[in-house]
Amino acid sequence: MFRSLLLALLRFLVLMLVAGLAGATLVRVAPGFSSDAQELTPGLSSESIQAIRQARLADSNVPQFYLHYLNGLLHGNLGTSQSLNEPVLDLLRDRLPVSLRSLALALLVAWSVGLALAVGAFRVRSRWFVAAADSSGGAFISTPAAVLALVFLMMRWPPVLAVGLLVFPKIYRYSRNLMEECLELPHIVVARAKGVGPWRLLSWHVVPIAIPQLIALVGVSISLGLGALLPVEVFCDLHGIGQLAWTAAQSRDLPLLVNLTFVVSCLTIGAIMCCDQLRRLAGREATA
Amino acid sequence: MRARALLISLVLACTCTVFAQNGGGQNGGELRFCLRSDPKTFNPLLVNDDASETVRYLTAGFLLRVNRLTQQPEPDLAISWKILNQGKSIRFKLRPDVRYSDGTPFSAVDVAYTMQRLLDGSVHSATSDAFRSGEGKLVTRVLSPTLIELNFPAPVANLAYLFDFVPILSSTSPQKEMAALGPFFVAEHKAGAFVLLKRNPNYWKKDPQGRQLPYLDSVRLEVEQNPDIEAMRYERGEIDLINTVSPAIYEKLSSVNASSVRDAGPSTDVEEVWFNQVPSAPIPAYKKQWFASTAFRHAISEAINREDMARLVFRGHAVPAAGNVPQSNKFWFNANLQPQAYDTSGALRRLQSDGFRMENQQLRDKNGNPVEFSIVTNAGNRSREQMATMIQQDLKKIGIKVNVVTLDFNSLLERMTQTFNYEACLLGTVNGDLDPSSQMTMWLSSGEDHIWNPKEKAPATAWEAEIDKQMRIQASTLDLHKRKAAWDQVQKIAWEQAPVIYLVNKDSLVAISPQIKNAQPSPFRPQAYWNIENLMLARR
Amino acid sequence: MKMLHKIAIAVLLSAALASVLARYIAPAGYEQQFRDEAQARPSIHHLLGTDDLGRDRFARVVYGMRVSLFLAPLAALLSTILAAAVGGIAGFCGGWVERVVMGATDLFLALPWLFLLITVRAVLPLNLSPVASVIITFALLGMLGWAPAARVICAGARQALQSDFVWSARARGCGGLRLIRVHLLPSLRPALAAQFFLSIPVFIIAEANLGALGLGVSEPLPSLGGLVCELQDFVMLRPEPWRLAPLVVLIVVIGAFQVLLSKQEVQA
Repeated sequence: MFRSLLLALLRFLVLMLVAGLAGATLVRVAPGFSSDAQELTPGLSSESIQAIRQARLADSNVPQFYLHYLNGLLHGNLGTSQSLNEPVLDLLRDRLPVSLRSLALALLVAWSVGLALAVGAFRVRSRWFVAAADSSGGAFISTPAAVLALVFLMMRWPPVLAVGLLVFPKIYRYSRNLMEECLELPHIVVARAKGVGPWRLLSWHVVPIAIPQLIALVGVSISLGLGALLPVEVFCDLHGIGQLAWTAAQSRDLPLLVNLTFVVSCLTIGAIMCCDQLRRLAGREATA
Repeated sequence: MRARALLISLVLACTCTVFAQNGGGQNGGELRFCLRSDPKTFNPLLVNDDASETVRYLTAGFLLRVNRLTQQPEPDLAISWKILNQGKSIRFKLRPDVRYSDGTPFSAVDVAYTMQRLLDGSVHSATSDAFRSGEGKLVTRVLSPTLIELNFPAPVANLAYLFDFVPILSSTSPQKEMAALGPFFVAEHKAGAFVLLKRNPNYWKKDPQGRQLPYLDSVRLEVEQNPDIEAMRYERGEIDLINTVSPAIYEKLSSVNASSVRDAGPSTDVEEVWFNQVPSAPIPAYKKQWFASTAFRHAISEAINREDMARLVFRGHAVPAAGNVPQSNKFWFNANLQPQAYDTSGALRRLQSDGFRMENQQLRDKNGNPVEFSIVTNAGNRSREQMATMIQQDLKKIGIKVNVVTLDFNSLLERMTQTFNYEACLLGTVNGDLDPSSQMTMWLSSGEDHIWNPKEKAPATAWEAEIDKQMRIQASTLDLHKRKAAWDQVQKIAWEQAPVIYLVNKDSLVAISPQIKNAQPSPFRPQAYWNIENLMLARR
Repeated sequence: MKMLHKIAIAVLLSAALASVLARYIAPAGYEQQFRDEAQARPSIHHLLGTDDLGRDRFARVVYGMRVSLFLAPLAALLSTILAAAVGGIAGFCGGWVERVVMGATDLFLALPWLFLLITVRAVLPLNLSPVASVIITFALLGMLGWAPAARVICAGARQALQSDFVWSARARGCGGLRLIRVHLLPSLRPALAAQFFLSIPVFIIAEANLGALGLGVSEPLPSLGGLVCELQDFVMLRPEPWRLAPLVVLIVVIGAFQVLLSKQEVQA
């Protein structure tokens, strides 16, 4: 167990390092890296424009920048944002908790609604219920995040709830399919034939089988939730990392983008790996 | 008893008089509006973005200020000034007994210090570049605590007006750049959230009744990137003004309360489209030939319906443009020029005279190449995307196929200024300065901003050489009429040759709460709060 | 349920027919600007009114369906196939193969692909036809959208490999491709079907958002995603009910897909 945890941690670190380097390379290679909107200020001389461009190209050597960055990281220095002129550590300290809280709330909503509808469809066995649940899921997934978030803002509701509504259709769909699939398993057919009630069937027979896949879905839902949260933060001007990421992307702010890539990788990969470990444990208990 | 009643009546009468004079406003209160982004710097000399410029405008002190309504410079920290030595020197007489927000006294030494910092080579801004008129250093002479002379190595065009952009720093204050001479000082800043400015207790200005300005206690600048949400907050009363409002939002706010929005008239912002004339551009040679032809450019200009653009895209809050100087720039506008009239037949005739011909609804050049090109513009700007679509439809009528490509701003900028990998570009010009000297780098053929063909080693055409000559004339003489004549000539050549096709001058649209008194929106930046020290809030 | 399936088939057929016969159904071209009738309310001449530039909304919805409802399912199919391939292989092989493949998948999820898309736009010629631009956009979406589903497919494949019928098949000498094709894939069908139809609306909306990078559908060609994204105006500026038409069309078509596919999911 200790060995597998150590290997998992090592894998996590390697993935994070590769993610950071790959992210930095993507940013550097993308067009517009050396451009700055300041260049268009009327009246700037040629020398001033060259100075602005040189300042932007200071971090143009990606391996050199990355090594320097990692060295700083080991000393607790995450660098300074070029676009906001603030230490990245301060920016993350202010904004990451906001995004984490929003993400937790959004996933709580998504899982509550998704599972409730899936269990409801399983329990009620009514085609109208299923049609209504499918329609509502389809409606939300067809609505752009910006539009939904603005509706919530207009109604003075927390816009992060919109994120939950954008993620729940996937959770509902997968959960329902899992439960339906379990119904076809031989031992469950036998249990039903023997008159086992639906709630007992669900809790004693279906859930233990579905848990490993549901746990896998938890990890994926975190990355889905993050993907939906970031545009909502941008459109609704919530002071989370989404807004920070958009500002950084528009201005090709390499120090900030590398740090944000690390944060997102950490959340995504970390969540998935935790879920993997849990899934293995759950799988062992189920077979035991 | 009678005396007490008399006293009460007198007090009431005085209060009513004051109340009447101020139109129902009162001292104090907090003005709230939004910034599009977090200020990048609070050092007034290093300002290069809009948000930092807003903070600088509200906190910094300047030797003179251009009145946004009369467009004339008015004394501020300097009581008077005199230009000497054919524009190479300027002498300021400064206002005595002025102090910074932290109590540090202001004197001529601070002006000298500021100018040396501005021109020491580490500051790269349009203002510092404008003062660098020639080789050699600035020489400052502090003649007395309230008298200073600045001597430049060569004449500086529009010398006095440039000081409207030079914030005066303190050379002795322990607060360094944060010590303010303006109506407010920075009291609190939360990155990405807000900036709180409080009244400068040492601000020198008083109103005609002798009351110290500003009337407001504080200004709260919230960071809000989304203009739709900004408008929502304004409707809810969470903020008091919006400095720039889109035409769609203007209409919406106007439909709810017409007095909550104002159209201040044509601004200095102009939308334009130009063709890439860089000889080394990676585009086909035959397309370079088209773009280099004056007849082609004029025909395109004639085929674009500017009236429809102003009506549909800007909801009537724009006027067709003849050049990049709007009518509201009273002195420098060339009244002899008219916007290019929309004439599809005329455009076709012009093209035919240049060797183009129509074949099955498709225009072809003399070598049989179908006339097709792309227009790039920045993504996310709804107005520009719509304008590009309208141009696409207008040119389709004369057999030209236009591909509209929207790019993120940095990618667009790289194509425009470094790789020159584009064919036509639709963008806007924002002119903060009314004087044509600020456009030297645009009109000089060697200029970085000579957008259709930057940094030419020598003028590529005779008309560009003529423009170079006229721009140098207007930059080197103090005679305003000579300058005006030279600048008129530049505008006329630009109209005739159409290296840039000017589309519309946008109006300045602002939203100002009826609670705000003494607001006089101007077409020029900062439109809604240029007279911030005189703004007051009605009783809430 | 049969009635519901018939309705779903009818809806999809109608949408497909409307898209194919757009030229005959739409009262005007999608690019034609009736500039004197901009922002008009619905009328006999313009069933859903006109937009800011005077273009007929009904025509743009019909043509928009053509772009989005043909290409988005193709992109969804591509991402589903990739998810099945990557997740299936990883789950089937297990061991270090699974660890490496899933590690690569996790990395894929974490990277800022925005910059790859910006680079792709830079490499493409400026005078790309709108049709070519939209095909490339949806192909990119398909190639980048497989990662979330791959994990779930991998977990499903691993679980299926532990099931009795697979053990029984292996005992009979069934292995390799036959095992995957005959035993594994059918058990993964529900997850794959879910991935497929969920991706369609996501890709339609994502295509519209890619307009911010210069990819996606270029003017004057409309797309359903682009029309739906214009609803920001509906929320903030003009709550005119007819502007909801593209969203209603999208929901109805996605709903029809769901009804048809849920039969597949349940039967599997």
